[in-house]
Amino acid sequence: MIEVRDLRKVYPTRFGENVVLDGISFDLGKGEKLGILGRNGAGKSTMIRLISGAERPTSGSVRSSMSVSWPLAFGGAFQPNLTGLDNIRFISRIYDQDIESNLQFVDDFAELGPYLGEEVRTYSSGMRARLAFAISMIIEFDCFLIDEIGAVGDARFHDRCNRELFRKRGDRAMIIISHDASYIRDHCTRFAVLHGGKLEQFGDFDRAYGDFRAKIGLDAQDRFDPRELADNRQQLIETTHTIAMLDDAFRTAVQAGDWKRDDGQWDAAEKEYLGALALYPYQRSYWVQAAHAAKEMGEDVRAEIAYRTAIALGEAYGDVREHLEFVVQRQGDKLAQFPAHLYSSCAAQNAAPAAPDIEMFARAFWRGSTIDDTAMLALLREHATCDGALAVMLNDSRFDPRNTQPPQRRRSPASRIANLVTIACPHLSPSEKETLAASPALLAAPWRAIIAAGGFADWDALGQIPAEAA
Amino acid sequence: MASQPLPLPRFAHSLRIQLRVIGALLRREMLTRYGRHNIGFMWLFVEPMLFTIGVTALWTATKSFHGSDLPIVAFALTGYSSVLLWRNMPGRCIGALQANLPLMYHRNIKVGDIYAARLLLEFGGATISFVSLAVLFIAAEWMSPPDDFLKVAAGWLLIAWFGAALAMGLGALSYLNDLVDKLWHPFSYLLFPLSGAAFLVAALPKFAQEIVLWIPIVHGVEMVREGFFGSKAQAVYDLTYLIPFNLILSVVSLIILRYVSRRVVPE
Repeated sequence: MIEVRDLRKVYPTRFGENVVLDGISFDLGKGEKLGILGRNGAGKSTMIRLISGAERPTSGSVRSSMSVSWPLAFGGAFQPNLTGLDNIRFISRIYDQDIESNLQFVDDFAELGPYLGEEVRTYSSGMRARLAFAISMIIEFDCFLIDEIGAVGDARFHDRCNRELFRKRGDRAMIIISHDASYIRDHCTRFAVLHGGKLEQFGDFDRAYGDFRAKIGLDAQDRFDPRELADNRQQLIETTHTIAMLDDAFRTAVQAGDWKRDDGQWDAAEKEYLGALALYPYQRSYWVQAAHAAKEMGEDVRAEIAYRTAIALGEAYGDVREHLEFVVQRQGDKLAQFPAHLYSSCAAQNAAPAAPDIEMFARAFWRGSTIDDTAMLALLREHATCDGALAVMLNDSRFDPRNTQPPQRRRSPASRIANLVTIACPHLSPSEKETLAASPALLAAPWRAIIAAGGFADWDALGQIPAEAA
Repeated sequence: MASQPLPLPRFAHSLRIQLRVIGALLRREMLTRYGRHNIGFMWLFVEPMLFTIGVTALWTATKSFHGSDLPIVAFALTGYSSVLLWRNMPGRCIGALQANLPLMYHRNIKVGDIYAARLLLEFGGATISFVSLAVLFIAAEWMSPPDDFLKVAAGWLLIAWFGAALAMGLGALSYLNDLVDKLWHPFSYLLFPLSGAAFLVAALPKFAQEIVLWIPIVHGVEMVREGFFGSKAQAVYDLTYLIPFNLILSVVSLIILRYVSRRVVPE
């Protein structure tokens, strides 16, 4: 039994005190497996360290009648300028274990062969992970603390780790934190959400995950920060992937989408993916997932829009081609008639248009601010460049240079007209971009604000505006 | 198997764990520092021996003034060996915790164990070097055997005590503030000529004697010399100053150590 009571941890910082854990209490009995969800920096790892005894709480207590492991998969357990063998010997001595049998076990499990006699600093990160995990397994603990183990090694090694941990040691207690919520769902019996220094416990995963997403959602309503603007469209596309995966709101949404996809709930899966893409519309890989879901439902127009968007944003064409061809043919057309327009790293006007570009143009410049799927698909099929698509949109009867935007409420980059600044005005300095993106004029009349700032300067579309609108 | 939970912490059991941990740390430290190449861990005492031989040779060649008719070889050996003893301990303990932070994840390893292992290693190295050189020089008849062996040992241990207490305090402080590392080097350099390694207190003028006798190491070095040379050394020292000084320093250092180990954040 582990009894955690009123655990508090406060770190002094230069800006005052940072309360990481603010009164956490729970019990963990023999064999129970507690999974902890929480956003980056919520204090999950701090909590694990306090329970492991490596660090002391500011106040409160951790009492344990079980032996508790160090946080698993943690590579720092060894000294890099000692050999793998010497590291095993050291750990064996610390925990008073038979050195020979441990060497044998690690040799079998980590499959490092002769490298075991080399200094650990020469290992690849995968080899380190294998050694770290094997060393963690030589000491038999009653309770294992598992911090982000899902991230290491290849699939086969991962399987062996799971067998070693959850089958051979299935009777042990565990506390698991992981970015991979599936891992927690599959291996835990109890769940908790750590948020704002407080821990809330749940007996069932779906309720825990729902609570986690709700808490993330509350935080997500921060005001949009114009300093986040990319320099130009290429940079926007190139950085989005990483930035999106660091955002818990995005990650939990696509995670939920993946689970629904695995259950065959295509409709719900597509909604989750599109919800995530509303946050980061230029994140290419999840456009493919959204497209697959739409394809499964027979929504060929939506599927084709999403496939074409993924390709235009740089998803490998070879991977997507057969799917695109399939949905085009199901609509009675041929791919050869409407070839895919591939991503190339060039100025926005010459780049292949994607759904988020068209949607944003419609939102900003069209009366009613929307575009239906058929019109969207037609634009994506016909035009190899954003410039071409924009020219058509500006000559549409819905084009209105006086179109205004509703006030921005949510932190949803898609609803941010701000990306328009990135795409239309790459020539502005970061501070000018910032000023423009935050200016009320941009919301009042996006077209005028962008043109006044010299936007779309090199776009041919600008010269093709109907006289009455200009 | 390994760490069976105990209903009551028993002293003997805890002591066994601690000794085992310090032993493991000691071996790990030796391997990390000296590796298995060439003479390996023998560098532990070969390095201070080389230092001492060098200084002894230098002082002999320049016929350094030391204010007595003691043989210069013996004078240099006793003096410089004690410098290595008290000076290397803090040098090794400063920054030791930062370098070993990942070890804090093993609940049996405490901050004090890391210092203890390094102190034992330094003490061992300096002592083996001192003893081997003494035996060598005596065998070569460059100096005579110690007049009072126990007095040499007592003086030597008192210097080690001082060095260890200082090392633990400075080591723990260095975790809180980088300045300790920066200031220790100039401080130890300045302390070296004042530490009694290069002079006999009796040879100094009265006012200078009063000043240097405030420095605790001087008492230890004088005691070692008296142990070696007997009354010829005209040693001046006061154990009722050195021992209380060491005691207070130890208590202060242990307080700092406790303060730091409550705040240490493993990587």
